[in-house]
Amino acid sequence: MYEVRFHGRGGQGAVMAAQALAEAAVIEGRHAQAFPYFGAERRGAPVMAFARIDDRKISIKSQVYEPDLLVVLDESLLDIEPVARGLKKDGKAVINTRKLPTEIDLGVEVECATVPATSIAMEFLKAPIVNTAILGAVVRMCDLVSMESMQQAIANRFGEKFGETAAKANAAAAAAAHAQAAIGRCKGRRPLAQKKEWLPAWNEIPIGTTLDERIVDGVTVGPGGARQNLTGSWRVQTPRYDKEKCVRCQRCWFSCPEGCIKREEDEYVRWDLNYCKGCGICAQVCPVKAIDMIKGGSR
Amino acid sequence: MKVMVISADHAVAYAAKLARTEVVPSFPITPQTLIVEQLAEFINDGELDADFIPADSEHSVMSMAVGASAGGVRVFTATSSQGLALMHEMLYAVPQSRLPIVMANVNRSLGAASGIWVEYNDSMAERDSGWLQVYVEDNQEALDATLMAFRLAEDRRVLLPVMVCLDGFILSHTVERVDLPEQEEVDRFLPKFVPYNMLDPSDPKLMNPIVPPEYAMEMRYQLDRAVEHSREVIAEVDELFAREFGRSYGGLIDTYRLEDAEYAMLTLGTATGLARQVVDELRSEGKKAGLIKLRFMRPFPFKELCAACRDLKALGVFDRSASFNGGGPVYTEVAAALCNVPTTVTGHVAGIGGRDITPEHMREMYDIVEKASRGEKVRPVTWHGLRGDME
Ligand code: SF4
Ligand code: SF4
Repeated sequence: MYEVRFHGRGGQGAVMAAQALAEAAVIEGRHAQAFPYFGAERRGAPVMAFARIDDRKISIKSQVYEPDLLVVLDESLLDIEPVARGLKKDGKAVINTRKLPTEIDLGVEVECATVPATSIAMEFLKAPIVNTAILGAVVRMCDLVSMESMQQAIANRFGEKFGETAAKANAAAAAAAHAQAAIGRCKGRRPLAQKKEWLPAWNEIPIGTTLDERIVDGVTVGPGGARQNLTGSWRVQTPRYDKEKCVRCQRCWFSCPEGCIKREEDEYVRWDLNYCKGCGICAQVCPVKAIDMIKGGSR
Repeated sequence: MKVMVISADHAVAYAAKLARTEVVPSFPITPQTLIVEQLAEFINDGELDADFIPADSEHSVMSMAVGASAGGVRVFTATSSQGLALMHEMLYAVPQSRLPIVMANVNRSLGAASGIWVEYNDSMAERDSGWLQVYVEDNQEALDATLMAFRLAEDRRVLLPVMVCLDGFILSHTVERVDLPEQEEVDRFLPKFVPYNMLDPSDPKLMNPIVPPEYAMEMRYQLDRAVEHSREVIAEVDELFAREFGRSYGGLIDTYRLEDAEYAMLTLGTATGLARQVVDELRSEGKKAGLIKLRFMRPFPFKELCAACRDLKALGVFDRSASFNGGGPVYTEVAAALCNVPTTVTGHVAGIGGRDITPEHMREMYDIVEKASRGEKVRPVTWHGLRGDME
């Protein structure tokens, strides 16, 4: 059995990628499955997806802990998540980056394909949805499925959902990535990123479902730990406010799904960027275009 | 102490008043309505300083109860049957949030084959919610169990909601002698409510966030242990109650003429009173019959039952609800509890939909259990008072 783990950010299409890979294997007459990490997914948040391929029916439904192949859709995750945790010694990796494999320190030295999937996606899809591009590099890296089956799977998945034009563009993105991928060995020098985890034993959890702010670790990373878990760090674009244009209609304040736009005494608005996830809704609803979204998670 | 002749519904209302309940969210449903009506009267007459909130449904009642309890006050409500079913969703929020709400459930059958009469299929369906459940035998116990429920629920080692279950009509609308405790006695027994987890604007907290798999399992086990540890507190509260008021109920279970018994019935609710009388008759005939009264369905008295049944050859288990094709819920749980005890266990379904349970029915149950105690083959589960032969 061949096991794959995808690491990405919400919105990059990690789940779609896992599903297309599984479908490509099924097209070739094999058995396969794909599923997401069942979390509360939000745009920009680190997410995982899993795929398994085998010649016989796959009965296991657990998550993948020791992958044969690691697919990283967002290079920045290497610094914040233990992405390579459990990767087999003879495993492989595919990483979305402009760097060459030898310039990447994954924390485990393995055979690796790097591909500038974001710019390929921007070119072919006009959006940073890197999942199909990265699949081209996956085909290049390992002889898991043929490029033909992969493109068929992409056409099936995306054609059904977004129409034929989208299917074609995605298949083209995959082909470009297949051609542009660089193969080599990545470095395995740095220790895996440590994720801050609060995993108390049952008798260490405060009684009831209330987390007190005195439970410092819990408030940071436990259930509902938003007080110190600044979700604004997931943002890839940031609202910019032009107070001159603002007519104080409060539409942005009313529409922000994160409640991070504050009304001032004078009815002008102010942003709490600690929790702004960069969804752009405020910019969309503003009747006078007093808000525009600028690239990057800066403040 | 004042001697009164009142129904169990009124006895429960008096208990909630004596407990100085602070908020009563309510929605009427027969045969419970007398409880909240009486409480509304107490409040109206200035005898009870509480907020009475008429709600638009039982779902809202329990939501309000959760909010009020989280706000730091003592909450009481009452319901029955379909009302309890409508609360189902909200019921589950209470134990895990560790809010010590006390609620009377006046047992009534859950439709279809709808009726307003007693059957335990309403509260039995909630036995996995995390609420503690006590079933009472008479009006005095309805009052006493309600008072004890507050003390038990609010104990820092417990912090769980308690459901006091009483038979619809047979208790709720039957008047009998009830000794009403004095307010000072109750105040001594039940100190002022001091909330544990409380919502307070000056100290913001988040209650009931979405809990991912990394934490939910530990929280559930914590609840499992809390229900388990309530056993000790139930015993303590019973003793405390006996010291203050001179009445004791035995904690999780009670026994009657069980010492040298060879066979016995296990009953709950008003059937217990009938069984006591039948045991007396059987004893006068020289038969070694005994009785176990199940008081708490949660926590379930696993250890206590094993100890009580050690010397019994056979035990019959009474159920006032069916679990369809498997006997009743009490039967299956008792059978599981006694799986390592050599006692033969038989199931006895009776009184369904409020059908009267006669002395003959109870006698029939004891006869079957006696046969089982002699090693004779009997049905695993018998429906008593059923027209037509059982299959
Ligand atoms: S982009 Fe605008 S609407 Fe979206 S979270 Fe940020 S402030 Fe709120
Ligand atoms: S929607 Fe635009 S105009 Fe209205 S308050 Fe927000 S920024 Fe100002």
